[in-house]
Amino acid sequence: MKASILDGLGKGDIAMNNIHKMIIHELMEIEWKVESFILHDMKITHCLGCFECWMKTPGICRFDDAGRKIAKSFIQSDLVIFLTPVTFGGYSSELKKALDRIICLDLPFFKRYNGEVHHKMRYKKYPGFMVAGILPEADPESERIFKTLVERNALNFFPPAHVSGFIYRYQSQEEIQKTINTLLGVTETITSITN
Amino acid sequence: MRTKKQALLLVGSPGKENSTSASLGTFLIEKLQDHGFKTDVLFIYKSIRQDDSKRALLGKVRQADVVVIAFPLYVDSLPYLVVKSLEIIAKDRKEKIPKTEQSLLCIVNNGFPEASQNDTAIAICHRFAAETGFKWAGGLALGGGGAIGDKPLSGIKSRARNVIKSLEITANSLNSRVPLPQEAITLMARPIVPKWLYLLIATIGWKKTAKKFNTHKNLYDRPFLS
Repeated sequence: MKASILDGLGKGDIAMNNIHKMIIHELMEIEWKVESFILHDMKITHCLGCFECWMKTPGICRFDDAGRKIAKSFIQSDLVIFLTPVTFGGYSSELKKALDRIICLDLPFFKRYNGEVHHKMRYKKYPGFMVAGILPEADPESERIFKTLVERNALNFFPPAHVSGFIYRYQSQEEIQKTINTLLGVTETITSITN
Repeated sequence: MRTKKQALLLVGSPGKENSTSASLGTFLIEKLQDHGFKTDVLFIYKSIRQDDSKRALLGKVRQADVVVIAFPLYVDSLPYLVVKSLEIIAKDRKEKIPKTEQSLLCIVNNGFPEASQNDTAIAICHRFAAETGFKWAGGLALGGGGAIGDKPLSGIKSRARNVIKSLEITANSLNSRVPLPQEAITLMARPIVPKWLYLLIATIGWKKTAKKFNTHKNLYDRPFLS
């Protein structure tokens, strides 16, 4: 089983660096392979909305950079983990830059899901999501928006299972570890679906 | 001393000046000109490239009485460029929030037929306003943005009549500093063409474009399977 981590934490966010390491540790304990992307360290061209990844080179973005590698790793994974500071209720710009580049994983054509129109699946199988939002403290409105955003993403990227949760900057290592372990419970669901 | 109220339009389309976002935002900003506003238009993709263009962006934001952000929906929320620009503006406003009241309004369009798919993006903009000291003036959501395309609204008056009416009402409310009327939101969200027709036209459009690139037999490729 393979997981990709898209780390959208800001440069210099040393306090939260540990989270990434804790997740890798937990995944290795259960013998998952992990591919990590520290997004602020990577040169990723932002999506131009040109739709060439749908029309000219179906399934592949015109830019051959880390954004393309991330899209490939995403679809080849069983679980994709997003780490991000909760930014006005949404994802950080670092994470969003990478996510805007994964539209090549869907088809341009439309299909109705539960009465709403979305793009069709390009691939037969998509990875599960685990999304961890980092906040200074509990913030019900931002958390509500963030959870809704994850649900919206799940409609468009077809995860077999998904989960989201929050880590607060004031929390102790033990509390953070507990949240991570809870969120990583999604690996059991994905493993059972895959097998 | 300033005599005229100032409005700033930030266009969040990622790489070109002609876009649905620009068409919608420009129409609104022209209506604000009619109300006596001094107006400016900035394209975010140019404004966050260099330090001096970022400074210019922040200067314009600080001076504006009304800031309008018009952008397309990308992966269920704001495109990277818009998130980045909001982060830059938020950082600037941590240091100093202008004393005068400033309003923020957003216009979001997407390629799906349902305007409601923009709700999360509008909620994010609302949250940004709350965290950075803007008065929230409201959010307009348009579905089926492809039916507007990059055409000026004045050139497609019949098709865009509800959109035009919505933006005229919005300009009035911004000028009068009253909350955005529900009528403006409802008119903008009204489908420009019936859902089935929009989907049919979009599908034909994709296939025609693919023929042009000679990729019509490869559209379902799965390049990352290997």
